[in-house]
Parts: sequence; C-alpha cells; structure tokens
Amino acid sequence: MYTKSTPAKTYDAIVIGSGMTGGWAAKELSEKGLETLVLEAGRAIEPVKDYTEHIPVWKKKFRDMGDRKRLEAEQPVQQTCNALDETNAKFFVKDKENPYTTEEGKPFLWIRGRHVGGRSVMWGRQSYRWSDLDFEANQKDGIAVDWPIRYQDIAPWYDYVEDFIGVSGQAEGLPQLPDGKFLPPMEMNCAELDVRDAVAKYFPGERKMTIGRAAVLTQPHRGRAACHYCGPCDHGCITKSYFSSLNSTLPAALATGKLTIRPNSVVHSLIFDSATRRVTGVRVIDAETHAAAEVHAKVVFLCASTLESTRILLNSATPEFPDGLANSSGQLGHNLMDHVMGGGASGRIPGHEDRRVLGRRPNGIYVPRFRNVSSKHPGFLRGYGFQGGAERAGWERGSGMAGFGAGFKKMLSKPGPWYFAFYGFGECLPNFENSAALDKDVKDSWGIPALRIRCNWRENERALLKDMSITAAEMLTAAGAEEINPFVEDNAPGLTIHEMGTARMGHDPKTSVLDSHNRAHDVKNLFVTDGACMVSSSCVNPSLTYMALTARACDFATAAMKKGEI
Amino acid sequence: MQRREILKLLVGTATLPLLSSEALALFQSVHDELPPTAALKTLNPHQDATITAIAEWIIPETDTPGAKSVRVNEFIDLILTDWMDAEDKDKFLAGIADVDARCHKAFGKDFVDGSTSEQMQMLTALDEELTEFRQMESEAPSRRPKIKPDSEKPFFDGMKRLTLAGYFTSEVGAKQVLHFEIIPSQHIACAPLPEEAVK
Repeated sequence: MYTKSTPAKTYDAIVIGSGMTGGWAAKELSEKGLETLVLEAGRAIEPVKDYTEHIPVWKKKFRDMGDRKRLEAEQPVQQTCNALDETNAKFFVKDKENPYTTEEGKPFLWIRGRHVGGRSVMWGRQSYRWSDLDFEANQKDGIAVDWPIRYQDIAPWYDYVEDFIGVSGQAEGLPQLPDGKFLPPMEMNCAELDVRDAVAKYFPGERKMTIGRAAVLTQPHRGRAACHYCGPCDHGCITKSYFSSLNSTLPAALATGKLTIRPNSVVHSLIFDSATRRVTGVRVIDAETHAAAEVHAKVVFLCASTLESTRILLNSATPEFPDGLANSSGQLGHNLMDHVMGGGASGRIPGHEDRRVLGRRPNGIYVPRFRNVSSKHPGFLRGYGFQGGAERAGWERGSGMAGFGAGFKKMLSKPGPWYFAFYGFGECLPNFENSAALDKDVKDSWGIPALRIRCNWRENERALLKDMSITAAEMLTAAGAEEINPFVEDNAPGLTIHEMGTARMGHDPKTSVLDSHNRAHDVKNLFVTDGACMVSSSCVNPSLTYMALTARACDFATAAMKKGEI
Repeated sequence: MQRREILKLLVGTATLPLLSSEALALFQSVHDELPPTAALKTLNPHQDATITAIAEWIIPETDTPGAKSVRVNEFIDLILTDWMDAEDKDKFLAGIADVDARCHKAFGKDFVDGSTSEQMQMLTALDEELTEFRQMESEAPSRRPKIKPDSEKPFFDGMKRLTLAGYFTSEVGAKQVLHFEIIPSQHIACAPLPEEAVK
C-alpha cells in the first residue's frame, strides 16, 4: 500500500490527546513497555511561563474584569466558561479556528482546550466514584442500553487512579457515593458547619453534606507538594499540587523513556486496513505548517475528548464503514449528554462575625444524590448532587450598597456577612436525538469538517433543575438562613463541560460502539477511553471515572497484545 | 537569578517551598508586561479631575491611602478606552457632564470648583438617587411608577462600581487594606478575625 510519507518507525501505541485520559493512556502504556506516541493538536505548555496562578489582580490589565472586547471577538463561546479570565484565556481555543454548528434555538456551548494537558489544566478537580446506582440505572429504567460493567469491575481501578493522583476527601459510607482512598479532607468553615449540622439533624438518613472530594493534595504525595491555597487552580500550579496530566501522568510517562509527545499534531482521521480490519495509523496535519503526514502503530487509543474523538471516527469513514469508522451499530455520534446544572438556592447565614477563612480553599462542599436512592420520586428519574459552600461577602458588596466616605471604606475593608449557596448538578438521560454529526459545509482551520451538534434538555432534566431549587431552599431554611433566594438557571448544554456519550460501551455490537473494555466492537486494535464511551451520565463529575476506565482499558490492551490478540 | 533557578526553587521539593519575596518578585516579573502609564486616552483633564475628586469622596484617604493615590482615575480611563462599548462610554462621559450641570444649577460652578460642603451635598444627592433607583428596580414591574421603561442606571452606579473595583484590586487596596496574600500557605477554615476588624 502506498503512503505518501512513510515514517521510519511504527510505534507500539498511538494515543490521540494529552489531557485527562490521554495522560493516563500515555503513562500506563509506556510503563508497560510500549513505545508510545502522544499526538496533541495544540501547543506545548511551559509551566514557568504559561502558568499564571500567582499573578495578583493588580498585575492584570483589566483587574479580573477580563479583556472583554478581545474575548467577544475571538472567544465568544469559550468566555461563557467561568474559569476563563484574562491570564488563562490562552488555555481555551480560539472559536474561529475551531467552528461547530448548532440548530436555531438549540445552543450547545462547547468549551475546549487544545494544548499539552488539555482541559486537565483548567478542570474543576472534583473527583467522585460512580456506584451501581449509576451502572444499573439504564437497565432498571429500560433506557438506552445497559452498562457492560458494574462497580466491582471498576473499583480496583478507582483505587489505582486515586492512589496516583491524590484525592482529598472524607469517607462517609454512602452506597450511592462509594468512598475512595482519600488524603486528609479539607475543612469546612463555620457557616458550612452550621448547614452541615442542620442537614444531618433535619434530614437524617436522607441527605448528608460532606466536604468536596478534590484532586488537590492536602499533604505531599508522590513527589508533588501539598496545596498552598493560593486559589486559582485553573491557571496552572507550579507546585503540581492539583492533578493534571501536565503535573502528574505525563511526567511519569516521560520518565519511562518510552514516550514521545508530538504537539501541534491535529488528527485528521484514522487509517483503516480492510484486509486485516485493523487501524494501522493516523493521518496528521501540522497545526502550524498544515503539512500532512502519517504515523503508524499497532494499537490506537482515542483520548481526544468526547466530541473530538467521535469527530475523528466520523471523519474516518471507509467503504466498510460509510457512516464513520467502527459505526456498524449506527450509534456513533448519538446519545450526547451533559450534566444539567444551575438549580439551587443561596442564603445568608447569621452569626460568626468574629470568624474568617484564611487561605483560598480550592474546593467546596458536596451533597450526594438523595433523590431516587432509597425511595422513588414521582416527578422524575435519577437525581442530582449539590456542590457549593459559604464565604464572607467581600468589597464587591459595596457596589450595591448605599454610602460613601471614610465609614463606607472602613466597612468594606472588613469581611461582610456569611453567604451560603447550593448549586445542583443533575443527571441527563441518554437520548438518541441528542447527537453530533459532520457538517459538510463547515471546516476548521485545518480543513477538517466541523461538527453539527443537536442537543437540548428535556422534561426530566428540567424537572431535576426545579427540584434542586426547592430542596436547596429547604436545607437553608433548616439551617436558619436568612434572605433565602432559590434559583433555576437556564444554562445551555455543554457549559457544564461534562459532555459524555456518542460512542457508547455495551454488550451488543448491534447497539453499541465499544465493548466492556472500551475497545471498538468493529476494530479490535482501537480503543476510545474518554467521555465518548459513557452509556449514562450519573450526576457526579465524570473525570475520575474516565481515568479509571482508561487505566483499565490499557491493562486489557497490553495483555491482549502480549497474547498476540492485537 | 535565572528563570531555571526560580523553577527549581518553586518545584524542586515535595514540601511547600517557602518563597522568598525576591523569588516571588522575579517569578511575577516574568509575567509583568503591563507597566502602568499615566497617559490618559479617553478622559480630558477636566473629566479626569472630576472623576478623581468623586472617587476620592467614595474612598477617601484615611489611615490608608485613598482612591486618588492609587490612581483609580487611570483604571477608569482604561475601562472606558479598552473595555466599554462606545455607547456605554458616551453615557458615562455624559454622566460626568451632568454632574457639572447639576452643580451649576445648585451652586453656580463645576463640581471640582465646589466647596467641600457643596461637593458633599452633590455626592449625597447622587448616592440617595442611586439607592432610590435600586429600590424601585427591585419592586415588581407593575409597581414602578417612578421609573420610565427606558430609564438607565444612573451615572453614579457605574462610577461607584469602578471606583471600588479600581481601589480594592490595586496593590495598595489588596495588600494594605484587605491584607491579601498571594500565597497563604495554609487553609484555616474558622480562624478568629483580628479584634480591631470586628469593631
């Protein structure tokens, strides 16, 4: 077979993407002795230059108000993410270079990072295990297809991943939120303790408030320093105290001497060999020169993020797979999910005027799911969890208050009242109509067809949002809060940045794309281990599960290679 | 110290490196691309003098510096020039002119030429009107007889916001007044507030 630029070397493994899951695949495969190539679409990151977490507000041109005009022109979608500000906007894509389309009246906000480390550099670090309440949900509800795995299949891999990345948290013994191998928990502040105690007192056996479980080190761990509580983790961390692939998995992978990272390598498509029905490599476009090249390997791991991995498969159609590679099921691109967020309540917690918080805790509180856990709710399926927390109001409150002069200044120099907020994250049901396909009329800066995304919330998600505002207000009422303000936000799907599905796992090749080890049913040396593989969405943050599934798939793949099955 | 040495200092140990102020300053200087400049791009000298004076009324010099000495006027000029839309900028500038017009009506001179008590009187009026506007705004639309549907937020709303932002995000405001530390090194969730701050 003729190839226009045959490389000198065939790698054992190619990993597409260097973020949350790509970093794990790189580490696991290279540690097992495989010559591994990581292809990253974006640029390399130089931490000492690119990390900006210690730039104080007075050194920022717009003092945390953001470079509004530039953002509106260059990053109109990305700027809707609240983690983006003027010094870390570079970790988010330029929207014009990376277009996608949606239907009128159905917005989808696709927040993306293209650089070595991907979105693991800016992620929210919340790390929760899924439970059998999640893995059994589709089967029990008769929705979509059953997960091909259960908690016992993934539990050892949660142990393995947590042990490496370091997750701080408090064991609670809840069946719907299994405990992990935790580093010491972070502390709750006075107002949070009030709310926690009230929830325990008034909702015993139903609701519980715990400290967030976060991939942030509360003590030195595996050569990385404990958190110094500077605050803005999404700007990088020079002491490597939170988990990102840049801070943790990629350095471990590089230490094996088996890993090559190739930045600025935009993947166009996968190369499929009809004779062997295997992928033999990847077509790559240089992000800067736009030169095309091919790289080859024995096994390929797609870890490019949910929608990018699916886009690559859709763009790799062959005569055998006219609707996208590994898509004999017709399920590729379908069942896109994201958590529905933004129902909740806020309120003022009286007292504790003589107390304050020292340090900026990069974590909040968590209320694990309590709906449809031990009793059935009449209004909706599944459930939601609350993140949130309390803090004392700062100087910003002055903008909305009467007054000026010396007394006003003195008042604003001191912390204001304690305010608490519960903010809900709800499960999204898989729906075939929520989908992504290639838009043949629109191409990105590298000539690759863009995605056309069709996704909207439905009745169940809206019912969850409404219930969040009610139960959050109930808990604040129990805690004696004042000025209680229940809210129901109207956030477009995508903005939670927990997009999942579109290449789901399953037992049956006729109704799913991937098998129980994240291997394509149709292509035996192709694995997809990022969020694309998810069969349902749970209501807890998904990254820890992506990492555990990736490590598990790498173990399976290397064993299969040894046995000569791949 | 070279950048490589700073990196070593920052990441070289498994326990938290205690950063010397020298190292921290150097680390920050890597990013320090935007030295403040005194050349105003939007405000003319009279407008500048007016908002400088109003800002100092909002956040005066006390035992700590006030809005004027941390150059809140330069921050406001930057926001007007590089951040606001032209329409909002024009409204803000018109708001400054309106303050002068009202001062002329009340005591026959520009705001900056007013006596302390005349300026105080104008500030009090501006603040009371803003409070009144907000109270009406927070009421149900059907019960807002005094606010016309197209009524805008008063000038003093933006002026106060920008003054507070410009002051408390300045180096003096953040460090000297709010006692902000870039690297707190610890998290104490329920620490006592120093007694003088409770009063």
